[in-house]
Amino acid sequence: MKVVVLLSAGRHPVSGLGALPRLEAQAIRLGAALGPMRGLHAGPDAEAVAEALGRGLSEIDHVALGAGADPVPALAAALRAAAPDVVLAGRRGQGGDETGLVPYALARALGATLIPDVIAARPGSEPGVIEVEQALPKGAARRLVVRSPVVLTVHSAAPEPRPYAFGQVRRGRIEPLAVSAPEEPAAVAIAEKPYRARPKMMRGAPAGGSAADRLKAATGGGEAVQADVMVSPEPREAARAILAYLRQVGVLPPPARAG
Amino acid sequence: MTRARRDPRSERAAAARPGLTRPRFELFARESGRRPRRNPRSETLAQQVEGPSRLRLDRAQTGRAAAALAPERAEPAAAPAPTTIVVEAPAFLVAVVPDLAGGRLSLHDRQLFDAARTLAGADGGVIALVGTEGAEFGPAGADRTARVAAPEGYDPDARAAAIAAAMAALDLRHVIFPETPDGGDLARRVAVLAGEPLFADVEMVAAATLMRPARGRRVEQRAAPARLITLAADAVAPYAGAPREARDEPLDTFAAPASAILSAERIPADPARTPLGLADFVVSAGAGVTDFDAFRATAAALGGTPGASRVLCDAGLMPREAQVGASGTVLSATCYLALGIAGAPQHLQGIAGCDHVVAVNTDLHAAMVERAGLAIVQDAQAVMPALIAELAREREASA
Repeated sequence: MKVVVLLSAGRHPVSGLGALPRLEAQAIRLGAALGPMRGLHAGPDAEAVAEALGRGLSEIDHVALGAGADPVPALAAALRAAAPDVVLAGRRGQGGDETGLVPYALARALGATLIPDVIAARPGSEPGVIEVEQALPKGAARRLVVRSPVVLTVHSAAPEPRPYAFGQVRRGRIEPLAVSAPEEPAAVAIAEKPYRARPKMMRGAPAGGSAADRLKAATGGGEAVQADVMVSPEPREAARAILAYLRQVGVLPPPARAG
Repeated sequence: MTRARRDPRSERAAAARPGLTRPRFELFARESGRRPRRNPRSETLAQQVEGPSRLRLDRAQTGRAAAALAPERAEPAAAPAPTTIVVEAPAFLVAVVPDLAGGRLSLHDRQLFDAARTLAGADGGVIALVGTEGAEFGPAGADRTARVAAPEGYDPDARAAAIAAAMAALDLRHVIFPETPDGGDLARRVAVLAGEPLFADVEMVAAATLMRPARGRRVEQRAAPARLITLAADAVAPYAGAPREARDEPLDTFAAPASAILSAERIPADPARTPLGLADFVVSAGAGVTDFDAFRATAAALGGTPGASRVLCDAGLMPREAQVGASGTVLSATCYLALGIAGAPQHLQGIAGCDHVVAVNTDLHAAMVERAGLAIVQDAQAVMPALIAELAREREASA
């Protein structure tokens, strides 16, 4: 099963220095279990993705592109030539516009199925089929059986990335790849300026409430007014009250019916 | 001209006190909309204590003083029953595609309607594109509701195709999705399918401009509203206007394309292995718990993820990953069962996001008891075996 990992020129969220996005490092770990794997990067600078070599990739193809150019036509042409069964990517490539559209556009260009938020992947029971697990909220998951080719975007709950190894970076190769794809100019000119953080809405704070109300909403404790306090009950009585409350809240299933 | 011009002469004439020999004016009673002016003389008069000859003042009578000072305010009239706003023939439609997790509108979903209302302005209408019945879309701010076919099982491509078809059929000017795992995924599928640009993760919404961060939040991009938009959480307030009618808009049924997903099976969360930050129900131990086998058995029997206070983790009695609080994990659980935890401020910060809290503690005055929806003032060591026994009794009764 042929695997390609899409790499982007990410930035560290705190220092702003070039760094491999964590999700892409996790994607490398997921892909290693599936078969022979190569990296693919489209951008002006190949050195931006050298860290991926230290996370377990041995070869990366680099498509040279101008800064700010749309990477989708070049990546689609490269992937058509390579014809992988599985393409792995982070949820959102970093360094560009960060709309998260690239995996979706590539899946459409390749005629592949896109599965988001993958935490595990293994070859299926028959050829041409892959079994993936998808993360759902609150720790649940969904097991899917999909016909290849597939594009998988990785969820942060996937296994931890491999530790960084300097020797692998020295041994690994980044090879330039020439593709013939029309380089399209950006469709709409978008005005840009330095980012300024804006205040977020406070959850649960009453409209027009006082500062004390907002503090109470921020630290929780809204329901404490109606608190139900049992002082020194029999342990059995306390246990019944707790179970009834948990069932009313909906975190404990109701007792199974007789029969 | 922004406000009505004041006429000080007629204002003064209106404040004149009639029936006095010389002109006197009641200037405090003037309803200017500002903070009422203090009159120290009348405040002192109101504080006078009746009785002996010498003047005595009760300075503690702040209430009476304030009453003497404040002019009689008219009781605010009862708010009239909100009338439903009807938009007969909207010039264009702005669609909202809420996630409807669990069949209900989340706070994020409600915020979408306010953003849609901003983009629709006075002429446009807001339409909710939903797959299921059940939720009330009128009070949330929808002028129209359209049912798009919801595929059986997991088939996001079919859902995206149905929304793209509705976009063409209803000639929607904008479609707004929530930037959540599900909503963001759907928005990108629709964008690729319809070949429309997507303005993702919008953090500021105005009628003519949208703003989104890019390049690792180092720049912000501004542009006129695109056709497809995803809205970040808590960027705008939920819709707070009068309810709207949410009239049903007929929509042709849509045949879904064949899917490459051969099977989909939901695996419920295993509470013992779920990371604490994701868990739905956390059972947590504090210094009031000494028998940890009983605690783990209780957590397993209740189906909760085990957590602990900082004291226990520092003592090495529970693993560090289980620590709840500001220096450990901040929870997003629905329910939190605190066994023998008094509730240090740093611990309470960790459970600020929990909807329901149950506290078992020997101290009636503990902060956790105050925070809890159900508080049991009893030794946690005695309650844990009782919980296990009660669950076992229920199982026996049903067997």
